[in-house]
Order: sequence, then structure tokens, then C-alpha cells
Amino acid sequence: MAANTTFIDPSVLASLDNLELRARVVVEGFISGLHKSPHRGFSVEFTDYRHYYQGDDMRHVDWKLYARSDKFYIKQYEDETNVRSYVLLDSSASMAYSSGGMSKLDYGRTLASALAYFITRQRDAVGLITFDDKVNDYIPALCRQPHLIRILRVLANLKAGTKTDIVKPLSDLASNLNRKSMVILISDMLEDEERIIKTLQRLRAMGNDVIVFHVLDEAELLFNFQEATEFVDAESSETFITSPASIRTAYLENFNNYLNYCKKKCQSSGVDYCLLNTSQPLDTALYSYISRRAKSF
Amino acid sequence: MTFLTPLFLFGLLAAAIPIAIHLIRKEKPPKLIFSTLRFLKNTSKKLVLFQKIQQWLLLLLRAALIALLAFAFARPLFDSNIASLVDAEPESATILMDVSMSMAYGDRFVRAKDAARDVIAGLSQGDEVAMIAFDNATVSVRELSTDLEGALAFIDDLNEPSFEITRYMPALRLANDMLESARHDQKTIHLVSDYQASGMGNDDSGWMLSPGVALDTIDVGEGATRNLLLTDVRSPDQLIENRSEYEILARVRSTGSVHLDQADVRLILDGQETTRVPVDLSETSEAVVRLPALFDSAGTHRGEIRVGSDDFSIDNSYFFTVDVMAKIQVLVVNGEPSTNWYEDEAHWLSLAIGGNAAESTFVLNSAVSADLDATLLTQQDVVVLLNVGSDLSNSQARALEDYVGEGGSLLIAPGDRVNAAQFNQLLGPLSPAVLNESIRFANSDYLLIADMDRRHPVLLPLGVDWGVRFEGYWSVNAAEDADVLMQFDNGSPALLERHVGRGNVLLFASALDTEWNNLPLQGLYLPFIHESLRYLAQATTKERAYRIGSLIDLSDVGLEGVRAQVTGPAGEAIALNQSGSSFTPRLVGFLTVDGGEGPEYYAVNANPEESNLVKMAPSTLVDRISNPETQPVQSAQVRTAQLVAELEGPQRVWWWILLLVMLMLLAETRIANTTYR
Repeated sequence: MAANTTFIDPSVLASLDNLELRARVVVEGFISGLHKSPHRGFSVEFTDYRHYYQGDDMRHVDWKLYARSDKFYIKQYEDETNVRSYVLLDSSASMAYSSGGMSKLDYGRTLASALAYFITRQRDAVGLITFDDKVNDYIPALCRQPHLIRILRVLANLKAGTKTDIVKPLSDLASNLNRKSMVILISDMLEDEERIIKTLQRLRAMGNDVIVFHVLDEAELLFNFQEATEFVDAESSETFITSPASIRTAYLENFNNYLNYCKKKCQSSGVDYCLLNTSQPLDTALYSYISRRAKSF
Repeated sequence: MTFLTPLFLFGLLAAAIPIAIHLIRKEKPPKLIFSTLRFLKNTSKKLVLFQKIQQWLLLLLRAALIALLAFAFARPLFDSNIASLVDAEPESATILMDVSMSMAYGDRFVRAKDAARDVIAGLSQGDEVAMIAFDNATVSVRELSTDLEGALAFIDDLNEPSFEITRYMPALRLANDMLESARHDQKTIHLVSDYQASGMGNDDSGWMLSPGVALDTIDVGEGATRNLLLTDVRSPDQLIENRSEYEILARVRSTGSVHLDQADVRLILDGQETTRVPVDLSETSEAVVRLPALFDSAGTHRGEIRVGSDDFSIDNSYFFTVDVMAKIQVLVVNGEPSTNWYEDEAHWLSLAIGGNAAESTFVLNSAVSADLDATLLTQQDVVVLLNVGSDLSNSQARALEDYVGEGGSLLIAPGDRVNAAQFNQLLGPLSPAVLNESIRFANSDYLLIADMDRRHPVLLPLGVDWGVRFEGYWSVNAAEDADVLMQFDNGSPALLERHVGRGNVLLFASALDTEWNNLPLQGLYLPFIHESLRYLAQATTKERAYRIGSLIDLSDVGLEGVRAQVTGPAGEAIALNQSGSSFTPRLVGFLTVDGGEGPEYYAVNANPEESNLVKMAPSTLVDRISNPETQPVQSAQVRTAQLVAELEGPQRVWWWILLLVMLMLLAETRIANTTYR
């Protein structure tokens, strides 16, 4: 399916200033190659009949067909699941890093928009939380078209903050969630990964579905710098002069250990983990979402 | 090892290029805001250290690579290969080693030996070499031989320079003669010297080397020289004992290429420093220093004048001796005493000897013939017999014989009272002549002195026209062993000398008063009497100052026929030559000669000519003595260079290939430093 679909390159996508348009381009391009939702719900749009089983709601029995066939058939409609999704977008300073194309923040913003658009289109409720070392924006989960506009507006005006504290907004959210929800974290997770994973595990243990979109720049993944460089930490302003060629192997070893840790811990905790390269299209992220959505609802 | 294109060795400097690039590239790297540093800072420190080592290793490899390329450009060749080509033509060489005193300056002698060894090292198997060490003469020689090890041993055996002056020409002539009989056509004289200008001497013979004999000059006299020299010292050779203070004059000169403006001159008498005088040479190169000295005892005093410190200490001392003598005891035996001065035979002589007793070098003792005895004689240095001879007893005559035989001296002036027969009988064994008859001229006739031995010590200072008129004289026949020192114009001897035993006898064939001649009235009388008595008293000035290397004959120092022991300045025994009568001092300082009567001291000094360190250009010597038919000498280096040029010419394409490789490597270094740091 994905092979037959042409997705927009993030660098092209970045040229679209209108975030709504950007989200629509992503989602429509994605949807065009996608089957309809396999979940059947009790909606207004009839799809099929099935035999009645004990326990089915009697309101959905087609009495006219019973009259004609003397059998109980239940009307089936396209589903409206009423899933509540929260998109948590990291807007710390490290997310502003870009090695040339879209920054991680821009990529995360586009992904959040696309998800919001897609979720809304699925008639699910979607909320948004943006944060750096504190929660900057909180939009509760609703399923209305104006609500999507509000989310997109917030995302469009989002600026990179300072330091990162992922644990705090996740903890706050965990405390406030009173029903099963889907928590989508979009972050580079360049913090204490142990604490982050623990918080995610806690959310998961509460029955929530958790998807982590680990957004990283290609330069962070490959560390393909050539000349000697004075690296400045985006959050702490600390500096480190080195010859990248001489430490590339060691860097990649450290970094891959970190990634493997995140991935393994997430997987072992039932947290969906999806590593995203900002130079790659957004379809991977959307597939991950749908996959999780399908499993859970 | 040699190089075909040694100029490319400058390319070794290019090895600094990678280092320079490394240093230049040390400017601050560009800043990059990165998401996090945690994965950078966690990189292994060991790894970073290893990377640094790798970088340095890479840098060293690059530098070494460029250096090796430059080395390759220079095209190294092993010496043995090239030498075998260069030395295809065998050589006959003579190495002249200057071992004169000036070679003792600084480390010249060591460098000269090293240079000679280098010459030998440049020779090949089959080449023949002769060795000559020289100063003003040949010191040692080794004939032409293919035994190069022997030549090296010859150099090793040269211990130290001599004290002699330099003379190039005799050594060059000898070397030239040796090479004329050499086996090989290529003949070279290698002259290792400091090229002292004075070494040419007064040679204006126009002599040249034989055709085919080339001169290779090896100069070890480069660099600045500093030298203080005592060019002249004036001291009394002989003094008669008194308490007066004398002045010794010393002339100090700065002769090096670097002028010394301060000096310190010291006088050392008999081993004790008595005077020290500072000398200011700031405005002049030469100064005369006056050194007061007091010689208060009889005997030979040894003096040394030493001038401050410089780089050439050998000529800093000048040695001299001063003979201080006791006054000469003269016994005048008057054969015709008289109370009238004009009739007294000894009047004029007494005036000449004792006129100023305090200043005189003589002590006059007067006696008549009857007083004469052996006891009286033993106290005298000289006995003068005036008109005495006939009235002596046989015992007195024997006493005189004994006296003279044991070293006493006699001056005889027979007068009119002497009987020839008795005189000849009594004093015949002593007298230099047999008296024949006394002759008095009448009619105002007279004789003059016509001939004399002007080299005799008595007459040496009296070599003027005498103009003395002799109206009376003794006709004599000289004894066989007597010397006639002076003759009248009629050919008759006037003054004769005879050595008897260890003594000496002079016979004046006339009177020493005015009775027979007017000599006492002449200005010559006083010096004649003084010189005669001084000579007879053996108080003549002995030559006690010698130059090093000069031949000292024992007869010159009064030791003729005596088996003497000679000791050098360092206490070493000096061997006499084959005849046993002479020797040659080889060290400066005092010689001690003991002929059995106590030691006699003689001063030996270096030749001041050798202290003049002014150089000449070696090319001056080459131009002067090189034969026009001889091809100019080409050093091994020049011959190597020519051969190298011939070998290297057709292969220059390698230059361009290596140059290209070098440029590529430099580009690689530059790019690598820019890109992969």
C-alpha cells in the first residue's frame, strides 16, 4: 500500500506556510492509498447486517427485516469510536535544530497537525499539549471542526522554547486523564530517557495507548560532520570543540545505545515507539498511529 | 654519501609545510548549535587520545614523506660508489704538516692533524702518500708509500708543535723532489698550515713546483687571533758588582688580528716576582716598559719578563741572564818604579786601572818584582809584568807558571830593563814569543800598527786607526802555539797571545808607558788596557742569550774540550751532538750547563718572528709557486661535482616525476587538513 503511494517530501512540505494546508496534503495523500476503517460502529451510516447475538443492543435490531424474515438482524454502521487522543509536542530548544531541511520542531509541528487533522477526520477527539520545561499550551480533546482550527493555530504560532522537561507534562496529563485515551508524544527525547520511559510506562499502565514519535535530525543520527567544529549545546549553551571524524564512531555507538534503550524499553512496556528522521516523509508516523488505533479500538 | 643534486636538500625545509598547515589550521573552528552534547562528551577519552596520536603520527608521516621526497630529489649516492669513479686516477700525494710554533695557537695543531687525516681518508687503495713535518726545517719525513695506515700513524706521532719559525720553501722543495719520483701522474702537495705571512721569509728565488705537481692548500689558521709579544728586551749582560739599580727595558706589542689594549708586565728575578707594571696599549700597538732591577750579589742572575695573558702563551715570556761579577783584581808588578811619575813604569797603567776606584771595575794591587810570590798570585785575576823579566828568580818564574797553568792570566810588557836571554829562560814557557832584541829608533823614526785581528775580543771594539807611534819595541819571534793579534808596519808582532794550561798570556812588544811610544797619551790606551785585562780575567761578556733551535757550541761558552752536562728548562738532559761540543735547545727557558765548575745558566727564547700571526692568503702561495704547465688542483669535491653533473644530466626526468608526486602530497596534506579534521 505504501509502495503505491507517493508521499510529499518534508523539504517540499516545509515550503507550505499554511499548516492546515500542510496537514491536509499529508493526510489526503496518505488517505488516498488507505482502505476505510475496518472498525464498524453504531453510526448513522448503514453498512451491513449481522446476526443478533445475546447482549447486542436491541435498539439496533432491524425490526422490518425481522418482520419479513422472522430472524433478528442487527444493523451495522460505520464506526464512530469516540477515541480521545492527546498530542504532546516538545517545543524545547533542542527541537529547533536542523541540519538543513525541516527542523525537528517544524517536523513535529507538521506531524501534530497531520495527526490532529487525521484524528478529527476520523471523528475522534484530539487534544494538544505543547511544552518545553513547562506546559505552554493545553487544548483539551474535542472532536469539532473549530477545535481543529484552534489546534492548528496554536501549532502555527509555536516557537522553540528553552530547556526540556518531558516528564512534567506527561505526569500532569496522567493525573488528569479520567478515561482511556491515546497519548501521542512527539519529541526528540534528549533528556533523561530513563525518567521519560518510566513516565510513559505509568501512562501505559493506566490503560492508555501511548505512541512515541522520536523525532531526530539526520545529522544527529549519522553525525556526518566533516570539519572541526565548536558544538554549542542548544539548551545549556555549553561548548565542545572536537574533530567529528575522530569521534564519529564513538558518538554513533553512544547514540545507538541510547536509541536501542528507548526502543527496547518502550516495546517492553507496550509503548509504541517510532523513530522518525526529519528527512523522511511523514507516512511512517501516520501508519504507526493507525496501527495503534486499530489494535486498541 | 654524496648527492647528485644536493641543492634539492633545501627541499627538506618543505617537511615543515604539513606542520605549518597544521599550525595555521589551528584557528578557531566554526560554531554549530547542536541539540545536545551528551553523546559527544561521552566519547571515550582514550579514543580521543588515540585519535590525537593518530593525527600526530599522520603529521609526522607526511613530514617524513616530504623529507624523503626531498632526499630522493637530491639523489643520494654512496661515497664508495662515487669515490671509486672519482678515484679512478691514482694519486701520489705529499702532506706537509706545519709544526712551527705558531701552530700551537688555540687548537690549530689538532685541526691540522684532523685535516691531514681527512686528506688520507680521501685517498684510495693504491694511492701513495708521503708525510713531511716541518717548521723552518724538516722535522720528520715519511717517504712515499701506499701504506696509508703508516701515514696515519705518522700524524698520531706528532705530539706538539716546535718553537721554531715557519719556512715553507724548504719543505715545499723537499715535497716537490719526492713527488718527482712518484709512480702516479697525479701529484699533489697538500700543505696543512696556518699560512703565517712570515713563513715566506725573504725567498725571492722564483722557484716553482715541477710541472704536474699541484699544490692544495689547507688553511687551519682561520679566525681572530690575540697575541701579546715581547719584541725586544734590553738588559745588561754583565755587571760589576755594586748596589746600583738598573733598568730593564721591555718592548710589548699586540700582534694578533684582535688588538689587546691592556697588558700586565712582570719581572721575575731568580724565581721571585720583583716588579709588575701595567701597560696601556689602547692608543698604540706597542709600548716600552721600564722595569727597575737590583742585582746585589755576584753570579749569574736569571731573569724572566712575562707579559699578561692572551691566547698564545708560548711567547709571553722572555728569558735573560745577567752576570754580576766581583771587581777584577789586577796585580801590577813594576819593574821600574820611580818616585817621579814620568819615570815610573806603572804610572800610566795605574791611572788607567785605578783612576776612579769607586767606579772602576778593577782593583789595583801594586808590587815590585821582589814581592812576587805564589801567595800573592793566588789572590789575583790578572798579573801585569811591566818591564819585568830579568830580575825574577826561578821560583818566582815557577810560581807564575803555576799561576797561569791553573787559570791565571798574564800581561807582559817588556821594557828597556829586560834582558832577552834571561827573559826567555825564565818566562819562556809562558811567553807567547821569544824576545830577540830591543830596538830604539833614532832620527824620530817610528813604527805604526799595520795589521790587527779585529775579531779578537780585545781588539773587536778597538777597530779604528790607531795612529800610535812606536819609537821603541821588542823584536820577537812568536811561539808556535801563539797567535799574533797585532803587527807593526815592519811585520814584527806587536801583540801576541798564548794559552798556557788553563790560563792566558798576552805579550805587548813594547812598553805601556811613554818611554817607547805615545800610546798612553792616546784615547785608545784606556779601552785597550781595560779590554785586555777584562779578557785576561775571563770577564769578557759571555753569550748567554740564544734563540731556540740555534746551535750552541760549548766553546762559545768557555767550555771547549770540557765534557759538560746540559739540562733543559724542564729539567730534561739535553744530549750533545756527535762531536760532543754543541747542542741545540728545543724549549724556551733556562739551560743549565755544568762543565764541572758549577752550573752556568743560558737563556733560550723563541724567535719573535714566529709570534707575528699575520696571515697570508693561501692563494698567494699557490700563485707564486704553481707551475703554469700544471693543471689547477681539483679537490675531490670538485671532481665529484663534475662527475655527478655528468651522471645526473640525462636522468632529470625523475625531477619532474618526483616534483609531481611532491605537489600531490602537499595537496593531499592541505585537503586532508581541510576536510577530515
